[in-house]
Amino acid sequence: MPFLQNLSNALVLASTYVLMAAGLTMVYGVLKVLHIAHAAVYTIGAFIGLLVFSWLGNFWLALLVAMIGSGIVGVIIYRTTYYYMLDAPRIVPLITSIGLFVMLTDLLQKGFLMGPYQRAFPAGGAGMPRIRTSFISITPKQMLVLVVTIVLMTLVYLLLTRTRIGLGWQAASMDRDMAAAVGVNLNRVVALNFFLGSALAGAGGVLVGVYNNSVFATMGDLVSYKAFIIIVLGGMGSLPGVIVASVLLAIVENFMVAWVGYVLPRDAIAFLVLILMLMFRPHGLLGKE
Amino acid sequence: MLHIHDLDVFYGHIHALHQVSLQVNESEAVAVLGANGAGKSTLIKSIMGWEKPSSGQILFQNEPLDRLPAWERVKRGLALVPEGGRLFGDISVADNLRLGAYLQPEAVIRSQMDMVYELFPVLAERQKQIAKTLSGGEQQMLAIARALMACPRLLLIDEVSMGLMPILVKRVFSVIGELRQQGMSILLVEQNAYESLKVVDRAYVLENGHIVLEGTPDELRQNPRVRAAYLGG
Ligand SMILES: Nc1ncnc2c1ncn2[C@@H]1O[C@H](COP(=O)(O)OP(=O)(O)OP(=O)(O)O)[C@@H](O)[C@H]1O
Ligand SMILES: [Mg+2]
Repeated sequence: MPFLQNLSNALVLASTYVLMAAGLTMVYGVLKVLHIAHAAVYTIGAFIGLLVFSWLGNFWLALLVAMIGSGIVGVIIYRTTYYYMLDAPRIVPLITSIGLFVMLTDLLQKGFLMGPYQRAFPAGGAGMPRIRTSFISITPKQMLVLVVTIVLMTLVYLLLTRTRIGLGWQAASMDRDMAAAVGVNLNRVVALNFFLGSALAGAGGVLVGVYNNSVFATMGDLVSYKAFIIIVLGGMGSLPGVIVASVLLAIVENFMVAWVGYVLPRDAIAFLVLILMLMFRPHGLLGKE
Repeated sequence: MLHIHDLDVFYGHIHALHQVSLQVNESEAVAVLGANGAGKSTLIKSIMGWEKPSSGQILFQNEPLDRLPAWERVKRGLALVPEGGRLFGDISVADNLRLGAYLQPEAVIRSQMDMVYELFPVLAERQKQIAKTLSGGEQQMLAIARALMACPRLLLIDEVSMGLMPILVKRVFSVIGELRQQGMSILLVEQNAYESLKVVDRAYVLENGHIVLEGTPDELRQNPRVRAAYLGG
């Protein structure tokens, strides 16, 4: 029983990692930019979701508006910053991104936005069922995280593999110039990329806010460190890699904590995994050499 | 249909093209011959929009291309077979072809696919294969096929024979000859003067970024300078 229980806890954790890291890896895949400010988009998503939820009391509507809102924020970030740096050395957008992240997080802590405190996000399990058998128990909140993540990732997968613009997106992440030379409008693909990635991060923020019943301005910090580990493990730019790495990292964290006890705090374990990985497979699990 | 006037291209301080002027007429095949580093790829990249000329003009069907991104140039009828093929390596042959026709409606994609499979039967057998696992010759054919998928008005080809064994070089040039017979406008840049001159209507010689000669294949074959530099005496 503890084994399966740990597994289901790990999968819930993995889901939040996937939603956060998917956007990062998508941006990296097409632009080769490490989009640090993505963590702020996650927090903004949670904040929008909470606002809509406190206003209308409907979780699904809150999730939808939060995703659209964070998607738009992501596109605005791109058009006002990275767009002008596409041909600059990679360090330029990286530093911009760090600055942007600090600025947005600071801004969110101002009184007229979120303020410096935690707020509750009491959406419960949004009507999800509880599953309890003799060997596993999944709470409605956990169900909510798992179901929403699986549905969203499936939709994104279908969009990117079954539609023409998805094919253009794949081409652009393999060879940007060549994609343009077959007619792929890079502005459109990159905007789509930011919209989707940011909407996923926004959904992640909402789900974690509900799961922990807590939303606060710096909630993106830790998960963003984890997301960096994940996109490196997954092989920079690989979406399947992100999923595999998220599950792996969540499982390692959970089982280490459960079995080894608190010899090392779980976040230290995560970075230990990263360092070992970089020593033995520097191009990631599914990445290319 | 393509008019280039006094084109200058720099890479930092390197002056890669000097006042290059040339033209390609409707339904004409034109070669630009030059040695390594002459500026052939730079010329092709400038036409496609991958490099920004510092001065001069590129007109395609009387419209200046200068401010247009590459995808807008594709919309106007340009297609490129780049140096080295630059296939989308991680996806299938069929998906590469589909991307070649990215701006075409579904019906055109289907008919163009039939067309290129007829031209290169080996690609039809390998539709599902991942592009980077094709042999070098097959990759080169796929690069040409991908460009043809766009139904181009003007086909740009950058050293299609590079790295191919002689029999494949002949095959690829015979395909270019066929396309010209069908009335497609073609601009190809090449080191292989011998094969190129067999399939084009006119050719230019590019040396160190300067156009130094222009003429019909017969004229160029008679030219002692061309014979010495490109046709092995
Ligand atoms: N990105 C670049 N940065 C600096 N110099 C460049 C760059 N690309 C090309 N050059 C230089 O410009 C000149 C022309 O290069 P280009 O690639 O056009 O030659 P080419 O005729 O295509 O040669 P090859 O037959 O070897 O392909 C060369 O001297 C090359 O070194
Ligand atoms: Mg070249």
